[in-house]
Amino acid sequence: MSDDGADAGHGPPTESLEYLYENAPCGYLSLKPDGRIFKVNLTFAKWIGFTPDELVGRRLHDLLNIAGRIFYETHFAPLLRMQGFFNEVALDLVTREGRQLPVLVNATEKRDGEGRHLFTRLTAFNATDRRRYERELVEARAAAEAAQRELQARNAKVRNELLAEQAILLDERATAALREEFIAVLGHDLRNPLAAINAGMRLLLGTPLDDKAKLIVGMVQDSTTRMAGLIDNVMDFARGRLGGGLDVERNVAEPIEPVLRQVVSELQIAMPGRVIETDFTLTEPVHCDRRRIGQLASNLLGNALTHGAPDKPVKIGATTSDGWFELFVANAGEPIPPVVLQRIFEPFSRGTLAPGLQGLGLGLFISHEIAKAHGGTLEVVSTEAETRFTFRMPL
Amino acid sequence: MAALTRNNVQVRGTGDRAMVFAHGFGCDQNMWRFVAPAFETEFKTVLFDHVGAGGSDLSAYEPAKYASLSGYAEDLVEIGAELGLKDAVFVGHSVSAMIGLLASLQAPELFESLVLVGPSPRYIDGGDYVGGFSETQIDELLDFLSQNYLGWSAAMAPAIMGNPERPELGAELTNSFCRTDPEIAKAFARVTFKSDNRADLAKVTKRALVLQCSEDIIAPTQVGEYVHRNMPGSELVLMRATGHCPNLSAPEETIAAIRAFV
Repeated sequence: MSDDGADAGHGPPTESLEYLYENAPCGYLSLKPDGRIFKVNLTFAKWIGFTPDELVGRRLHDLLNIAGRIFYETHFAPLLRMQGFFNEVALDLVTREGRQLPVLVNATEKRDGEGRHLFTRLTAFNATDRRRYERELVEARAAAEAAQRELQARNAKVRNELLAEQAILLDERATAALREEFIAVLGHDLRNPLAAINAGMRLLLGTPLDDKAKLIVGMVQDSTTRMAGLIDNVMDFARGRLGGGLDVERNVAEPIEPVLRQVVSELQIAMPGRVIETDFTLTEPVHCDRRRIGQLASNLLGNALTHGAPDKPVKIGATTSDGWFELFVANAGEPIPPVVLQRIFEPFSRGTLAPGLQGLGLGLFISHEIAKAHGGTLEVVSTEAETRFTFRMPL
Repeated sequence: MAALTRNNVQVRGTGDRAMVFAHGFGCDQNMWRFVAPAFETEFKTVLFDHVGAGGSDLSAYEPAKYASLSGYAEDLVEIGAELGLKDAVFVGHSVSAMIGLLASLQAPELFESLVLVGPSPRYIDGGDYVGGFSETQIDELLDFLSQNYLGWSAAMAPAIMGNPERPELGAELTNSFCRTDPEIAKAFARVTFKSDNRADLAKVTKRALVLQCSEDIIAPTQVGEYVHRNMPGSELVLMRATGHCPNLSAPEETIAAIRAFV
């Protein structure tokens, strides 16, 4: 006989029921109705490090961890009483050394002819690997559920963002409609009275006037022209700043030079005492909005005449070369202070001039917007020698 | 009759007085299958499932409401109101002993007396109080529940269904156990084992019977004695029956004790 009681001889293998009971590859337990062990096989006892004799008289609870005890009492014991058996119950046995041994347990109640409970038989299977696998499955399921919840949360977030964006879009459309209306009203309501004043002045000029009256009419006309320019600026600002963007109608067919010359001549007429030097070398067509570029040139030249040294010439030049259109306006005089230079293209950014010379502070902002709308740049360099604004755009 | 449907209420028996049976954590009204029929000739017996257990309406489960035992007590009061119960006998097992106690405080006219089977006002030890478990052990249990429900909810069902000798029992239990939502069971376990109703014991003015089993690891004898000591006008009966479920393991002794009390 070997250690485990098997016949180690060379004849045909033999089995006895007693041997099978003690050494079967599963644990056998018999419990009295009060849950105490009255018979247990060697396999089970060995698994948890006891001898069968040591286990007799102990309760099954005593071999379980706390959680297993509670679970057994609240779930499996009632189930066993009600249906007389249970299968595949997962329990953790606690070994003599305090380790946990995961097992799967089947149980049946032995009852007498009148249904009285005589004892309970339990069969336990070592299920370490299976239980580990099941635990991994549970964890995997928990992870999958967490991932699904995360996904749902993200979907909900995206959906909400989409709805919010749609709402913003609708809101923006409403704002855009309102803006257009505002600009139209602004243009109409401000320009009409101005036009009436202008027409009145022209009528006055057609009547006999003394010199003083003629002078006053000329001043009023200058003022209305200036006022019209300011209204244009305010409207452009409203369009640009309120989100509609400057409207630019680019056209390559018409030449730009006549527009620039027109600007120069208008300003020369307005300020006859000043010297304006021009230098235009335009050999290629410029894909631009001629009205807007004219507006830009007029703003820059007007500024230069206003702010530059009155006894020095103002220079304006334009070239086309290497795929670029470049326009500059330069004047002599006090350099622009760095503090002003920093914010010079921002709206309502005005220098430190006498109040009478100040505009709304929108001219350079609008010019800068025009440059941007053409995919170009407007830059300024201001030194003791000169202050130079340069506009560049691709042809 | 919303509560009657929600809690799968079953009314049987004849009698002027009603006896309401409430099941504990881990099972459903089937817990009373060996006990309740004995009272059907003298009492109108009322059995029900807590929301989340047995044939209850799982969709009625509201985490906030059932985050404390008083949510379950509210259900019990509603059942009583819908059935027009007055001065009934309440028989509650395990955690339902405390649920019935809370219901009797919410609606004093509902129960004339309380039978508390294996009650525990507090499962966790603290200070001089012995509840039977440490905080850590209860946390281990809750962890075990979440780890073990794969084996429980999925693997148990076919085993129960495959009972060839008593198919009616199989179907009954299958319906009961399979439909127990593991998530709800986990939450119920947390509410049950973390509850503390010690302060409520002294408020009870009804007659009460404490049925205490021998060798009950869920509600040890000291706990039954604590309940008895702190509940004025209560009787304590120490049963020969072992374990936590005398209603299943020793129905005759349980029936006799209840009968002697009522």
